[in-house]
Amino acid sequence: MGRYVMRRVLQGVFTLFLVILLLHLLTTLAIQLNGNPAQAFFGDRPPSPSQLAAVEKRYALDDPCYDQLGNPCLGPFVDRLAAYASGDFGESLRGREVTDIVGTAAPNTLRLFAVVGVTWMLIGMTLGSIAARRRGKPSDQGIRGLSVLIDALPIFVLLLVYKYVFSVPLSKWAKETFGSDSLPALLFKPSFSADHPWATLIVPGILLGLAGSAAFIRLVRAAQLENYNADHVRAARSKGLSERHVTVHHVVRNSSIPVATAVGIIFTEALAGAVITEGMMNIYGMGGVLWRAVQDSDVSVVIGIVTLLAVVTVAVMIVVDVVYAALDPRIRYD
Amino acid sequence: MTDPSVSALMAEETEGGVPNRSFWSDAFRTLRRRPSVIGATVVAVFFLVVALFPWLFTDKDPQRCDIADSRIPPQWLGGEHPFGTNVHGCDVLAELVYGSRPSLLLAFIVVGASVLIGVTLGTLAGYYLGIVDAIVSRTVEVFLVIPLLLAALLLLSLFRTVDLGDGLLATIIQPAIVLTLFGWMGYTRYVRASVLETKNLDYVTAARVLGASDLRIMFRHVLPNAIGTVTALVPTAIAAVIGTEAVLAFLGIGVRPPAVSWGIMITEGSEWFTGGSQYLLLFPLGCLLATVLAFVVIGDNLRDALDPKLR
Repeated sequence: MGRYVMRRVLQGVFTLFLVILLLHLLTTLAIQLNGNPAQAFFGDRPPSPSQLAAVEKRYALDDPCYDQLGNPCLGPFVDRLAAYASGDFGESLRGREVTDIVGTAAPNTLRLFAVVGVTWMLIGMTLGSIAARRRGKPSDQGIRGLSVLIDALPIFVLLLVYKYVFSVPLSKWAKETFGSDSLPALLFKPSFSADHPWATLIVPGILLGLAGSAAFIRLVRAAQLENYNADHVRAARSKGLSERHVTVHHVVRNSSIPVATAVGIIFTEALAGAVITEGMMNIYGMGGVLWRAVQDSDVSVVIGIVTLLAVVTVAVMIVVDVVYAALDPRIRYD
Repeated sequence: MTDPSVSALMAEETEGGVPNRSFWSDAFRTLRRRPSVIGATVVAVFFLVVALFPWLFTDKDPQRCDIADSRIPPQWLGGEHPFGTNVHGCDVLAELVYGSRPSLLLAFIVVGASVLIGVTLGTLAGYYLGIVDAIVSRTVEVFLVIPLLLAALLLLSLFRTVDLGDGLLATIIQPAIVLTLFGWMGYTRYVRASVLETKNLDYVTAARVLGASDLRIMFRHVLPNAIGTVTALVPTAIAAVIGTEAVLAFLGIGVRPPAVSWGIMITEGSEWFTGGSQYLLLFPLGCLLATVLAFVVIGDNLRDALDPKLR
């Protein structure tokens, strides 16, 4: 087991290195094709050459290789790796450290993920279990139709409709009925409020969770169906255990292993969804910061955050693999 | 699905060595009987026709707008602007009709290119294993770590100021490249797994013993087994790209004005929803949802028909 974890971690570090290299090559190509992002620092004002040179130096864009198309710029890449290793992920156009921004923004993203995770589990486990137990019956068909419908509603559309169509009248109504600081008024507030991080995150979190739950429902259904037909369930039934006991102890428990691992796969999707959600609902989280950085052309923040998120994703994938290996003794460690 | 006498008859026929129903015609027969599939196909084909032949549906130019005609509510049939006009006085029907082109063309280009790359790499990796497989698998892993949307945000914001011209293809080429670059991995994984499963089966070994070349084995014997799973993924992927286009347009880094796409119309229309012009949001949103729903329904049923294990 120890050796397996070790090898998985080493593999993850190698993947991460390749990811950072890929990001570096793509941004280098973009800078070479597109001109210097240091221009964005000045907005519409044309800078003097010395100002431009100072800003280039500050964001480490002064290497001549950025002017030579096709040059992989390995020198700056090594510098960047060294900076990452010492915890320096660059700074924003306003001079704030990316790590500092992330430190204040990450808790809100974690809160959002908590709401999303609970929504997934509730919707996915409940509907998936019902569909598996009543396979082929109208309720199974209905749940399947529902998951198709959920699939067809991109998170972007859900949030847009919620924000522009429902949120305004709902929050107005809640404010008039319950007072402006009451829980319902905060729930339907169209934008995030740092004083009430949980209350203003719940509805966006539920919507994001809902948008991703279709895959979860299908997965739970498939995993449980496999178990309903398995020998150990037939054995449990034939020794006279109650249907309830069989379902809870033999079907749900055994089918939760593939479901748990799927969390890792869906994680990256949820990350992308979080960017849209936080951006559109003005939530001050990792995704919201990234969203605004894209709009302000703040390239160093975009690169820094995408890199950090890649680190987190690789870590989550490793943890999921290791947990899977620990949960399921049939997995071979090679 | 079929009554016993028919299946008995079929069993006889297949036993007699005349397999008159192939995998595909079998799937087609299953699909043909479902009203939801027929409905979804009609909707999808309708929007494809709109995108291919926009001049059949409107005689107006979406770019020729008269600010004096700003925000005329829908006049339905008979009026000059059946679906009304937007803030700049552009005809909404013409915008909807021409806006379907970038959305759908982008979706088809991205999915087509991704499938091509994915199937090629997946087949090579699964068939030759060894060093080829190591490189492909590692590349897949690297690209999987960066979510599609994050990559799109990063690259499109970096390339934002590159101007490629005003043509239809020029407006979508950037998002098309980026979405393809980060969209091919799923197909590679499925195809690789399926090739691994198939390549040691007896009939493939037989073909090899008979002296078939690697290429022939791959295309004639191994790939047809994988193509079913991949096909089932395609409609859902098309729907996903249409949705992503809307997000990118909302951020101002996808298809950009003055070109029109449904995503741009939704973005502009959402600001006027509470201002009394609900139709500016509802029409493009309705078109987007109808198209996405149609492709998702087709995809869901295809998955069912092409993968009997899930039934």
